[in-house]
Amino acid sequence: MVLENLSSSLKDVFKKISGSSYIDKETIKEVSKDIQRALLKADVNVKLVISLTNRLQERAATEKPPAGMSEQDFILKIIYEELLSILGEESRIELKPQTIMLVGLYGNGKTTTAGKLARFFIKKGLSVGLIAADVHRPGAYEQLEQISKQVNSLFYGEKNEKDPVKIIKNGLDRLGDAKVKIIDTSGRDSLDDELIDEIKRIKNEIKPDEVLYVVDATLGQQVGPQAKVLNDAVSISGVIITKMDGTGKGGGALSAVAEIKSPVYFIGTGEHMEDFEVFNPRKFLSRLLGM
Amino acid sequence: ESLFIKRDEFDERVQEILIESDVSFESAERIVEMLKNREKKLSRKISYDDIKSNLRSVLYDVLSQAKSDLDLLNVDKKPYVILFIGINGTGKTTTIGKIASYLKNNNKKVVIAAGDTFRAGAIEQISIIGEKTGTEVIKHDFGSDPASVAYDAIEHARARRIDYVLIDSAGRMQTNKNLLSEMKKIKRVARPDLTLLVLDGMIGNDAIEQAKTFMNEINFDGVVLTKLDTDARGGAVISVAMEIKKPIMFVGVGQGLNDIMRFDPDWYLDKIFSS
Ligand SMILES: Nc1nc2c(ncn2[C@@H]2O[C@H](COP(=O)(O)OP(=O)(O)OP(=O)(O)O)[C@@H](O)[C@H]2O)c(=O)[nH]1
Ligand SMILES: Nc1nc2c(ncn2[C@@H]2O[C@H](COP(=O)(O)OP(=O)(O)OP(=O)(O)O)[C@@H](O)[C@H]2O)c(=O)[nH]1
Ligand SMILES: [K+]
Ligand SMILES: [Mg+2]
Ligand SMILES: [Mg+2]
Repeated sequence: MVLENLSSSLKDVFKKISGSSYIDKETIKEVSKDIQRALLKADVNVKLVISLTNRLQERAATEKPPAGMSEQDFILKIIYEELLSILGEESRIELKPQTIMLVGLYGNGKTTTAGKLARFFIKKGLSVGLIAADVHRPGAYEQLEQISKQVNSLFYGEKNEKDPVKIIKNGLDRLGDAKVKIIDTSGRDSLDDELIDEIKRIKNEIKPDEVLYVVDATLGQQVGPQAKVLNDAVSISGVIITKMDGTGKGGGALSAVAEIKSPVYFIGTGEHMEDFEVFNPRKFLSRLLGM
Repeated sequence: ESLFIKRDEFDERVQEILIESDVSFESAERIVEMLKNREKKLSRKISYDDIKSNLRSVLYDVLSQAKSDLDLLNVDKKPYVILFIGINGTGKTTTIGKIASYLKNNNKKVVIAAGDTFRAGAIEQISIIGEKTGTEVIKHDFGSDPASVAYDAIEHARARRIDYVLIDSAGRMQTNKNLLSEMKKIKRVARPDLTLLVLDGMIGNDAIEQAKTFMNEINFDGVVLTKLDTDARGGAVISVAMEIKKPIMFVGVGQGLNDIMRFDPDWYLDKIFSS
């Protein structure tokens, strides 16, 4: 079975079902409560948790465990499958000339991730240009400029220009030789109408090939709803989960993925440019469930 | 809709609301217990309004214990040294700008130590903040020892009778032992009068993990919770008050230099109860 080393909170759940010859409704309900507890502790959005355990109850009532599979393995299999269906199978970002725009909440790691992505493409033999389109945060220009030096990519920015669209258009022009162009944008949240309008305008005028959502693994319940608003505004095409080197379980990020319905490409595992890994959904789930 | 509620359903709903506000799972459970105890004292049937006001008063009690009586403008030491710590990207540097601005507006002399010598653009970021607030920034080269930047800033303040030293530090994961020991060194050298842990207002259950580790490894005196201008409900405030028993000193409510408030339990509870 896929889940051998469960967290203690989930292990207790399965003591309750082992030994019973069939799973009655009451047991399923009780088990659902415990699974909810484990997911909530990992910051999975409350509404998503409820819908997941509703699915579990539905499926456990109508499906029969495959021959030879114990009831508890069957329950686990269902919940694991449901979670995995949110994340999808492993998928890779395409290695081709393209324009990528990074979006996300304040301080979640966009600028750092721009550098990590640049390094990734350069190692695959594609030249990269970084474009500094965060016109709000003090020092954002210098931060990306220094990062571009660290990873040996081209760089374009305009220190005193306040219109990000202008900067990006000039940048795309000037960095014409670079195969992959990566646009760093300001942090923003769903309640700030001006910043939401700004990113819509960038998206509509620039039409990047990929809009990647950069999200921090330590955040909680509001990440899902936040991602929904941003996805409605600029339709996100992929996700990168940062700060996976901490103790955050990434349930908020998982909830964002459930809203966005787009693949997760990478995770960030530190502040250095090389702290970057291709996303592995199974590994992510193991960690989320405390295995 | 009935005015009276079934006990069990209600407990679940309260817990759900708390968790949706990012109160940690354990703290939410404890609050439901506290609520039950309080309601035992009520003889009549319980209405929605009873519960709402009971919940509010339970939370008020929890948060009142987390109120700080520090009057930042009237401290008895000069220079008064404040160190800001926390994981990456929570809002340390921005908060320093806000506090510098607040102190300057109250005619205090302030110096900032550019103690993040690691992150790209960090020294430029704090320098711009220094310019905007008219605050001197003591800085060394990229990659140099942050403890010595802090030391220099404090010496500078002593020599010039400056009232406050605000020390920025590089964001560091509480899981990174090397960076934690670097932080210990900064603290040993600077001997701050106040150490503030800066937490992101959107943080989930990890708030407790972060606060516990920083408390055990570095120790801190209070918390700043940032980004509460977003739809973050900032339940970390409640978990930290309950589990760590450290006061919440300030909340950040925007990216601007004036977007900071003293923590006020009533303001916070209005925010939670309005949604
Ligand atoms: N530990 C750790 N730190 C990270 C990771 N990714 C980014 N960071 C750090 O998080 C902090 C914020 O990163 P930035 O790249 O500035 O975030 P941002 O989203 O561009 O921030 P804004 O532009 O202000 O919205 C910095 O200290 C980064 O070094 C990661 O995977 N792990
Ligand atoms: N909306 C909002 N944004 C904030 C607030 N406080 C900080 N920010 C933003 O959060 C992002 C990160 O802030 P910083 O002050 O650079 O965070 P930091 O903790 O110093 O980050 P590192 O030094 O990289 O660890 C920036 O985009 C800030 O503008 C706040 O109260 N509200
Ligand atoms: K999408
Ligand atoms: Mg940035
Ligand atoms: Mg900083």
